[in-house]
Amino acid sequence: MKLQHTLGGLEGLDPINFETEVFVEPWEQRIFGIHTAMMALSNHLSTSLPDYEIDQVPTEFKSFWTWGHLRMGAEGMHPFEYFRLRYYEKWLGGISGFFVEEGYISQTELDERTALFLENEPGNLPSVDAEETAIDTQVVKYLTEGDSPLRPLPAPPKFSVGDRVKVKNVPSGEHTRLPGHIRGRVAEVVKIYDGAFTYFFPTTDGLGTPMPVYSLAFKPEDIWEESLIDSKSVYYNDIFEVYIEAL
Amino acid sequence: MPSNYPGFEHSPNREALSAAKVKALESLLIEKGVITSNTVDTILGHFETKMGPFNGAKLVARAWVDPAFKERLLADCNAACQEMDFPDGMSGAEGEHMRIAENTPEVHNVIVCTLCSCYPWPTLGLPPYWFKDPTFRARITREPRTVLSEFGVALDDSVEIRIWDTSAQIRWWVLPMRPAGTDDMSESELAELLTPEAMMGVAKVKV
Repeated sequence: MKLQHTLGGLEGLDPINFETEVFVEPWEQRIFGIHTAMMALSNHLSTSLPDYEIDQVPTEFKSFWTWGHLRMGAEGMHPFEYFRLRYYEKWLGGISGFFVEEGYISQTELDERTALFLENEPGNLPSVDAEETAIDTQVVKYLTEGDSPLRPLPAPPKFSVGDRVKVKNVPSGEHTRLPGHIRGRVAEVVKIYDGAFTYFFPTTDGLGTPMPVYSLAFKPEDIWEESLIDSKSVYYNDIFEVYIEAL
Repeated sequence: MPSNYPGFEHSPNREALSAAKVKALESLLIEKGVITSNTVDTILGHFETKMGPFNGAKLVARAWVDPAFKERLLADCNAACQEMDFPDGMSGAEGEHMRIAENTPEVHNVIVCTLCSCYPWPTLGLPPYWFKDPTFRARITREPRTVLSEFGVALDDSVEIRIWDTSAQIRWWVLPMRPAGTDDMSESELAELLTPEAMMGVAKVKV
């Protein structure tokens, strides 16, 4: 498990930077848009619940791209690098690396084009031709219809509301949805969400196939060792069934 | 094995480099036929005009004036959205499964995503910088009362703080309390009082 998997409860940090802007530099909007377009054009949407005819969309993007793929990039980083970079700087590194690795662009052309724009700001983007507008139609359809992970329950949930359960401490591998600060801790099941939730692809720590998701309530004294405990607080975590076991 | 980690320094050209790199990436993707020259602007426009905190504000204001609606909103946020005059897409990207937690004099709710930045886009739009910042994500789980006081929300020690961490695929947000002195305000006037921060649990609604 890396430091970025176990942010919860770190001590000795600074006061909160209460910056309410979404994008703190104009360029950050562009990488947000590129990532969202990748999700909207991902090849797995052919099997999603909304009726996407993704094979018919005239994009050259033929890859599988979800939040999980983006997160895997950030989780794969050197932990200090993770904290050195701002949020969208991590996105820019991960996404541009993905396009190079997958062969859509070469590192050389990316570097050359970057140098060109550095010297020759602002520079113009290439213009669109008519046929490509079907790409944007799909993007809007995705924004509107989404990609629900909800699936039929393959089996009844293993746990019931009121059960005391223990959070497993499985190896996090290259991607996990199990935060470090609750590993090995005990909590109460307070809610079972309807249905089962897919993660769209298998992770090495057990996500992927549809499974129940629970809301667990943790008492602070059951998570934190000693200092900073606020005894009049409850920490809730939405957790996939594969991450918990009976006490 | 020694680390290759170069340290915490940044290029003096930090922002100019990122701006040039993302522009290079976008222009190459357009040339290669991955996206069009309108794709990114289309996406950004969606969150400026259709999906944003103005939707959440209308839902909260309606809940304040209509107790039966509030119960439906608490029971099924996505279904309650269908009662409103919203653009299509309230159950679209990052809004597929939304839940709202109600603040009361006894209970104060706050949302966080300690692993990344999960957020209900259709009701609140895109997440502000502070929500994505590791410092908030680290501290709110453990010392919520102190963190909230830094945001200007002073809570009595008797108030229970509930922290909702979105590690799976539910997108939580907060139904704040209606402030005193607003009895004469219309639903649309009430909606004007709301901020994203109030609907995330780090601000009180001010008149």
